Amino acid sequence: MSVPLETLTSSFQGLIPAVLATCSLDGVPNVTLLSHVEYVDPRHVALSFQFFNKSRRNIAENPQALVKIIDPDTRQGWALDLRFVRSETSGPVFERMALRIEAVASYSGLKGIFRLRAADIYEVLAVEPIAEEPATVDTARPTPHASGDPVFTMRALQDLSARIHRALTLESLLDSILIGLEEYFGFTHSMILLAGEEEGALVTMSTRGYPEGGVGSEARYGQGIAGMVAEARKPIRISGLMRAMLYALAVHRSAQEQGYRPERQIPLPGLSNPDSQLGVPLLVRGEVIGVLCIESETPYRFHEEDKQTIELLGSYLAIAIQNMQLLERSDTHEPIAEAPAPTTQDPAVAAKPMIAGRREVTMYGDEECILVDGEYLIRSLPARILWKLLSARCREGRNEFTNRELRLDKSLNLPEYKDNLETRLLLLRRRLEQKCPDIRIVPRGRGRFALQLDCDVELRERA
Amino acid sequence: MVTGELATFLSGQIDIHIGTRDASLRPHSARVSAVSVEDDREHVVAFVPALGADAILRDLDANGQAALFVGRPPDNLAYQLKGSFTGARPASGDEREYIEQFWDSFLEAMAVIGFDRSTFRHWPVWPCVAVRIRVTAVFCQTPGPGTGAPVA
Repeated sequence: MSVPLETLTSSFQGLIPAVLATCSLDGVPNVTLLSHVEYVDPRHVALSFQFFNKSRRNIAENPQALVKIIDPDTRQGWALDLRFVRSETSGPVFERMALRIEAVASYSGLKGIFRLRAADIYEVLAVEPIAEEPATVDTARPTPHASGDPVFTMRALQDLSARIHRALTLESLLDSILIGLEEYFGFTHSMILLAGEEEGALVTMSTRGYPEGGVGSEARYGQGIAGMVAEARKPIRISGLMRAMLYALAVHRSAQEQGYRPERQIPLPGLSNPDSQLGVPLLVRGEVIGVLCIESETPYRFHEEDKQTIELLGSYLAIAIQNMQLLERSDTHEPIAEAPAPTTQDPAVAAKPMIAGRREVTMYGDEECILVDGEYLIRSLPARILWKLLSARCREGRNEFTNRELRLDKSLNLPEYKDNLETRLLLLRRRLEQKCPDIRIVPRGRGRFALQLDCDVELRERA
Repeated sequence: MVTGELATFLSGQIDIHIGTRDASLRPHSARVSAVSVEDDREHVVAFVPALGADAILRDLDANGQAALFVGRPPDNLAYQLKGSFTGARPASGDEREYIEQFWDSFLEAMAVIGFDRSTFRHWPVWPCVAVRIRVTAVFCQTPGPGTGAPVA
């Protein structure tokens, strides 16, 4: 092998389509594009097998193949002479490839159709540069990593760590992580989702870089990149998401023509046109406590070393988040000496204007959901908590509350184990900041808070 | 063999690759800068950059078997043309403008899906070898459950 395969890892991101040439036993050549070539080890690559097609039939007859890939950093083309070895339908290589494809499928409503049938493993017999596809000579336009500047320096990691250590509440911790990712690493669009009240659900707790905020939005396990990461408990990196989505869209159309009825499409979270996404699970002793997602409009923003470092960072962040959750549960009513964390968006962006200094707060009992002035605010446990607080204030004139009394209130129906009350209170605070900033929950110390109103509130209950 | 619809499709903004094979059935491929359809709708000419044409020309001379992938990047609509080699010649100076405009239209299509025009502009397009192929079959190559179906 003339060029070590491991030096070409950037070329395996699927950013620029690969070309696959095969030949049938009766001598008819076939050439096509390929969605995914995966680096396996210094002597092997894996090709995605998604649909029964001519290439797959050819390989069954004649194991020789030629794949051409392009390095997205240098634009150098590489030709890989291959020999088919085996198909894998399980194991780490298959799972790595399947996750990426399924994440795209979940955005496109194509789960079950747009899927990986097998990871076909090939021995790489030779690697040669393609003469007619040379590296760029345009040095004035280096790609972010082609410049040679590492994103994850020891200094940047130390700075992030110091910022995280200064956080005294879950709220400031989550915000510090996302602010740090932007300030020290340049990741301008990120979000943290934590385990939701319902099993198999994640709730967005903190976001950065999105005008609409998005706190409170939910992702089911298996949906989108965050849901896929949580389900698989593994990081997912998608480069060239736009191309992947267009490819999936072509499959979507083709599937409909063949009589399939794909599921409803779900909107992409965050950026309207993300081209790179990286999601890492926040795992503590094997338990998913949340997911960190980072997005970029740059097609190849996250390199292999970024994925590895963020994955490592994810385990550290997960422990920090869980420790803070446990600390906040401890119910020691200490004053908190830090300033409120900066909000990650302008509260005025999404808030609905109040009418004549009055808010109409309606609890829909059957759906356990609260609407303010006819607009959805929140549901489930945070909705029950807000209703309790507002009712107590109207009935008894109370403004001060403790987490402990909420825990003891059977009507709130908190789970006995891991109630995540503090996380739910934070979610409620954030939603109020976004949607009606004149109703506020203000921390008074660990385990204590006040309800502050700058408006009259009319409470209504409906079935 | 090349329908009016396919001929229109082959008029620009497409990604093209030619596939061949040697005597041991080892496949080769090359990027194609441009393609044109002859008036008889049976023959197409693939313009292959000379720098990458050696292997496929050897194969075509030896056995004549050719495949062309043609795909439109923004919507992934794609076809596979199978055919037999009928001859090759250096592309003439008169054809250069057509080839360069065709390649430029491909860069335009790639720009639609987020690849800056400068991404592939440095790849050589000229000089080219004009590879003439008689089309014997056309298949759908659009990704999805229907891929590989013959196109009438």
